Formats: sequence, C-alpha cells, structure tokens
Amino acid sequence: MSTEAIPAEKPKRNYNALFGLTLLALLVLLWIILSVATPSFASANNISNLLRQGSMIAILAVGQTFVIITGGIDLSVGAVVGFATVIVAMLINAGVPLFLAILITLLVGVAIGMFHGFGIVKMGLPPFIITLATLTSLRGIGLLMTNGNSISINNDAFQLFSRSSFLGVPNLFWMVILVGIPAYIFLHHSRWGRYLFSVGSNAEASRLSGVNVQRTIYMAYTLSGLCAAFVGVLLASRIGIGNPTQAEGWELQAIASSVIGGTSLFGAVGSVHGPLLGAFILATINNGANLLNVNAFWQRIITGALIIVIVYFDGLRRRGK
Amino acid sequence: MTSTAQELHPAPTLEPGRTILELKGLEKRYPGTHALKPVDLAFKAGEIHAIVGENGAGKSTLIKLLTGVMPRTSGEVMWEGQPAALATPHEAMALGINAVHQEVVLCRHLTVAANMFLGEEDSRFGILQQRAMVRQAQKIIDDLGFDLPAHVVLGDLTIGQQQLIAAARATVRGTKFLIFDEPTAYLTRKEADQLFTLIRRLKGEGVTIIYISHRMEEVFELADRVSVLRDGTLVGTRNISETNDAELVKMMINRSIEQVYHKEHFTPGAVIVEARNLSGKGFENVSMSVRAGEIVGLYGLIGAGRSEFVTTLYGRHRKSAGQILWEGKEVQVNSEHDAIRLGMALAPESRRDQGLCLNLPVSLNLNLPIYKRISNNLLISNAQEKTEADRQIADLRIKTPTRNALASSLSGGNQQKIVIGKWLAHGAKLFIFDEPTVGVDVGTKAEIYRLFGALLSKGAGIILISSYLPEVYELADTLHVFRRGKLVATHGFRTADHEEILTQALAEKQEKLGGQT
Ligand SMILES: Nc1ncnc2c1ncn2[C@@H]1O[C@H](COP(=O)(O)OP(=O)(O)OP(=O)(O)O)[C@@H](O)[C@H]1O
Ligand SMILES: [Mg+2]
Repeated sequence: MSTEAIPAEKPKRNYNALFGLTLLALLVLLWIILSVATPSFASANNISNLLRQGSMIAILAVGQTFVIITGGIDLSVGAVVGFATVIVAMLINAGVPLFLAILITLLVGVAIGMFHGFGIVKMGLPPFIITLATLTSLRGIGLLMTNGNSISINNDAFQLFSRSSFLGVPNLFWMVILVGIPAYIFLHHSRWGRYLFSVGSNAEASRLSGVNVQRTIYMAYTLSGLCAAFVGVLLASRIGIGNPTQAEGWELQAIASSVIGGTSLFGAVGSVHGPLLGAFILATINNGANLLNVNAFWQRIITGALIIVIVYFDGLRRRGK
Repeated sequence: MTSTAQELHPAPTLEPGRTILELKGLEKRYPGTHALKPVDLAFKAGEIHAIVGENGAGKSTLIKLLTGVMPRTSGEVMWEGQPAALATPHEAMALGINAVHQEVVLCRHLTVAANMFLGEEDSRFGILQQRAMVRQAQKIIDDLGFDLPAHVVLGDLTIGQQQLIAAARATVRGTKFLIFDEPTAYLTRKEADQLFTLIRRLKGEGVTIIYISHRMEEVFELADRVSVLRDGTLVGTRNISETNDAELVKMMINRSIEQVYHKEHFTPGAVIVEARNLSGKGFENVSMSVRAGEIVGLYGLIGAGRSEFVTTLYGRHRKSAGQILWEGKEVQVNSEHDAIRLGMALAPESRRDQGLCLNLPVSLNLNLPIYKRISNNLLISNAQEKTEADRQIADLRIKTPTRNALASSLSGGNQQKIVIGKWLAHGAKLFIFDEPTVGVDVGTKAEIYRLFGALLSKGAGIILISSYLPEVYELADTLHVFRRGKLVATHGFRTADHEEILTQALAEKQEKLGGQT
C-alpha cells in the first residue's frame, strides 16, 4: 500500500464538518424557498417563533445524542418534559423561590436519568425497555399528581422569560447556545466524550482499557434527563401551565433530529452541531408547512420521508469514504 | 445440503500443473490507500501456493478480491481460462473458490453444526433436519481429526477452535480452490498439525491452495511455491526448494533481520505480583509470581486456562479461591479499574471482541487508556493526543493513512499493533500480553520484542501468553506450562527442550474438549 502524500488533515473531522455544512446549506435553502413562497415567513415575528419552536427540540436532541452515541436510546424525554412542567408549576405555585424551583426540577430530571442508568447497568434491562417504562409511568404519575388538570402558573416573571428576547434573539434560542457550547466541549474535547464513543463502539474493549463503562452509561442518561427537565422548565415558561400530557411525541422528534444530524443508531457516531441543525430543519418544515396551509397530516409524512432521504445519503457518503 | 457430506470434496477435473486461476493486472484502491498495485500471477492446479508479506502488504485484499467480498478496481481474473467477474461471494463459491478468512466470519450465536451448513441447510419439507445436521457435522469434524463438539454454540469456542471450524466448513462445499488467510495465528502446534494434515489431504485430492502466513517455517513445511508481496506489488515468486528464509524476509521488508527474538537479560528485582493458590472459572490452584525485569511465559493448548487466569488477575472475572499479592501485600482486585490503578495493563487475546473500537479512529484507540493523563480535569490536550498517537504509529510502524483513519480500515496485523501500542505509553508495572504478535509480521515482531526489553529495563514485569512455542521459549525467563486449567510444569530460560514442553502441555488430553473451552 502507499499512503498517497500523507494528508496530515483528518478525514473524519473534515467529514463531520462537511456534513454539518451540508445540513446548514439545506436549512438556508429551505429558508430562501419559504421566504420566496410565502411573504409571512421572513417576518421577524415568524422567525422568532420558529427559533422558539426549534429550540426546545434542539436541546432534547443534544441529550438524546449522548445516549445514542453509547448505543442506547432514551424514549422517556417527552414524558420527562411534561412531568417537569408539572413539578416546576407546583413548586412555583407553592411559593418556592423561582431559582430553587428550577433547580429542584432539574434535579428531578437528573434522578430520572440516574434511574435509567441503574436499570441498564445494575438490572441489565435494555435501554429501550427501561425508558419505555418511564415514558408511560411518568405520564401516569403526573396525572395522579394533578388529578388530570392543568396547573396554571401564577408568576409573570417566569413566563415573561420565554417571551422576551436579548439582542433581538429570543431567549429560548440563547438557551440552545447555553446548552450547545458546553455540550460541544464535553463531547469533543473532554475524555468523557471520548468514553461515550468508545463505549458505543466496543464496551468490552473500553472496559479492559480502564474506561468505567457503568459510569459512562449513567452519565449519558443523566445528561439526557437533565436536558429534558430543562426543556420542561422552558416549556412551562412558554405556555404558562404545568401539564403532564404536554410534549407528546417529542422523544421521536428528538431522535429524528439527532438522526438527521448524522447520529448513528448503532452507536459511536455523532456530534453536537448535527442534532441542533436537525432540530431546526424539522422546525422549519413544520413552520413552513403551516404557513403554506399544508395539511398537518402531510407534515408528518414529509418529516418521515426527509429522515429516510437524509440518512440514506449520509450512509452512502460514509460508505463511499 | 443432502448427502454431500459423505462425498466431501468431489475431485477437481483439471489435471495437475495446469493453470487454474490467473490474475492479470489485478488492482485495488481504497480511499487513501493503493492496497494492490496491478498484480500478475498464475496458480497451478493442485499446488500449495504460499503468499507472504509485511502487515498491510495487500495479502488479505487479494483474497477478498478472489472471493468476491470486495470489488476490484481494475484488472482481470481468469478461472480455468475464462474471465470471471467474481462480483459476489456466491459467485466465487459457485466456481469452487472458498476461503478461511483472517478474522472468523461466522455466526457466533449459532451452533457449530448450523454454521457448517449455513446457506446449505438440510431441510425436509421446509423443516430443518437439526439432529441430522449435528450428526453430519460431528462426523466431518471427527473425520478431520479435530477434537471439537458440533452441538455447542460457536461463540463458546476459543478463536482458534472457531478457526478450525471455519476450515472444516470450507471443505464441505465442493471446493476446488481454497484460501487460508493466516489460519494458524491462534492455533497451538497440535491444532496446527491437524490443520496441516487436512491441507495435505486436500492437496492430495487435487485442490489448489493459497496459504498466507507470517511464519516462515510453516511456509517451508507446506508450500510448493511462494509469492512475496510488498506494498501492494508482487516482488517475486519462487519454488520453495530454491529459496530460503533469509531471502524471503529480504524480499518482504527490503532489509535483513539478524535476530527476531531479541532477548535481554536483567537481574530480576522485587516481586511485583504473586498469585497464591488462585482458582477461578477455567483454572485451579495456580501459584506463580512475576518479578520486576522478568518475562513470565505461559504456554499451553488453547483452552488450557491461561487467558482465564490472567483476566482474573486483572479483575475481569471473580476468583473463587486463593490470594493475589501486589508488591507483597494482599489485594482485592474486583474490577479492571482496580487492576489498572494498581499498575497492571492487559492486551487481550481477541482484538475484535476485546481489543479495539473498530469504528473509531486509530488515535482514539491508541489513547484510550491514557486520556486521564493527557487531559486536565476537563479538557483533552489535542497536541498531546496527536503526539502520543503519532509516536506509537511510528514506533510500531502502524500502516495507516492518518491517525484519524478508522481502526477497521487497517490490515489485521496493524490492528494488532494498536492493541499492543495502546499500553506502551501507559507506564504500568505489570504488562500482560495475551497472544501479542498474532498476525504480526517478522519485522514488527522484532520491534515489539525490543520494546518488551525497554519495558523490562524500566523495571516492569511481563506476563506473556503465547500458543506459539518458539515465542515464549525464546523470550521467557520463567516458563509455566498449563494443562486443563492447572499449572503443570515450570522451566527456566531454555532449561527444557521443545519436545518436553509440548509433552507436558499435551499429556492425557484424549477426551473431547466438550464444555470446558
Ligand atoms: N476496508 C478498507 N478501507 C481502507 N483501507 C483498507 C481497507 N482494508 C484494507 N485497507 C488497507 O489496505 C492495505 C492492505 O491491507 P491488507 O488487509 O490486504 O493487508 P495484509 O497484507 O493482509 O496485512 P496483514 O498481514 O496485517 O493481515 C492496508 O494498508 C490497509 O490499511
Ligand atoms: Mg491480512
């Protein structure tokens, strides 16, 4: 073999960047098409709205991606979001200081994630099963706690947050950046990130190399739970109520965003920017379809088709490499 | 598969000596790697043709092209004078071309019998004849003289045993042309002898054989002709009677090697680790110790309990009795983590299952054990990650386009170098190498042994497991022989001869290996 003029550059990183650029191009293309097709798309109001819609799924998708990289799946995130709206609403209404209410809600998310880790590591349950169980039971617990009613939150400052902007950009989108940057550093520049990949690739080899596989799995699910609880807080702020049935199906949107963003469901392949872009592509399609008065049923079909197309081409290119 | 099991290998029709398969300008490019530059080569019917060459020279690539596993970039393959497309494995098999690949490619979760008849199952009215298949498979295995059960799940066998099954499987398929890609890498002498008997028998029946190996003595023992590949180019073909070891090595690596087994003797220091009457799954009542500056060799048949012993020492499995002493103090090693913290490092036996993250970059694989050292609490030092990876790549001559290539795109021997290399920068006190040079070429072997010397000189101790007697024989200061889970004999450096050690490893091993694998 000859190594043709040793390219000192790293094909993998290049590939990641290239794929990211392709997604970004797709997103921009969608925006251009929609701006031309419908006058209301490019309005400041609509763009803010779109960013708000996309932000919450984007944060969920980041947490989900950590889990998928280890070769797992977290089906509970939608339910955790709904549950977290209830917790934060109850705490605020009970007069708990805002800061503390949010902190406690986040800790609930962490606890749920730890429980998933426990189920997988100690009880040997498949991730699909344990998170599916949480998905149904959390909604049930939430309904019990609220007697099936919505709790409206009486704290204006809390609700104002999600409606306001900073430097012209909606606060919710700033939250994506707040989560995205540490997530990026964590995944690509810390050893914990490397361990997520190595466990997803070969757990036994990682274990024999001294990687604490159990802790790595705990960490992935805990982070996913934390992201979901955080999104719950944001959602409660946005709609002003706590309701355990909120965020129905968001787990699937998060998984879809992650997969569109280049994450492999077989594990060991993924990034942070990919799922973020994936989430905003999905949000754009939904938003655009609404503006164009496309039947909501069609939106679902388009999303499904898009997943197949993007993942297919991604796979083709990877194999071609 | 009905009744073909009896008439195992229908006699090939071609008379011996005629060209059966010819390569014309056969070429293969991978992205970033020109693995095979146009190669012209003709194989004569009924010959055993050895192919040798360094790691990454293109041997396995050639085989993959011939068996339809990968498409070629250009060139032609003539089968019995006709051009053959060889686009799919199915097509190759239909012509009678079969291969036993370097990495076992069978279904680990199916039984031995199910694997042997995979794709050619015996069924009556759509119902699988399971019992009949097990019986037939057992008959074939017994017939070949392999000492293995047909009803067990393949994954329960050792890699070497799986390799034998793969060989047996290839013989039941009306083979005319059979390729062995480093079949003896995981076999002990006894299993290798069984395999050689099988190969000679096939040759007697007129089957043409390609035999790839890094062990020169096997090439001289078996082959009629030998071809040498270097950097994807065919350097030459020789009749075996007209060449010698030194010439082949010279052709392979373009320089000569005076001494493969580089052995430095150090005065042994303090005892690093001691096992006292240690028992666990697969071994019983083993006592031994390793001192600083010495290599302790463990020799035995596959399944003799050596790997189980060291993985227990390393905390991967629980001990059932006995004590482990680290630097004189009793310790509990409950996990690999504990072991690594004490100062142990283990390069495991199976690179695919235990050694590598195949779909991740070379650099990540090499650095996996040392990320703690090359990062502060939060961030990894990118510069150090690169330097460490590049150093191992250079030291071990790992052939890879860049440090960011995926481990799966490396040749078998180069993957093995990663398994070794990742521990070299770690700075442990006790290194456990389980079959460290499987599939590694002569030049690099010499390099690895030199690195062993460097580790010893820094005061480390080494446990070396090998099923290849010359390796442990020439390197170990203390050589322990294992047989059926027990330590049966201990020798000093070259104090016994091969014959004696072999007998000790083999004695009273007549019954089937059965459950204890
Ligand atoms: N799937 C692949 N993608 C990219 N490069 C590959 C792939 N498979 C092999 N190569 C490259 O092709 C070259 C030849 O590899 P090959 O496996 O044929 O070597 P080999 O002679 O069998 O070596 P060994 O003795 O180590 O088994 C190597 O440099 C390897 O890195
Ligand atoms: Mg090979």
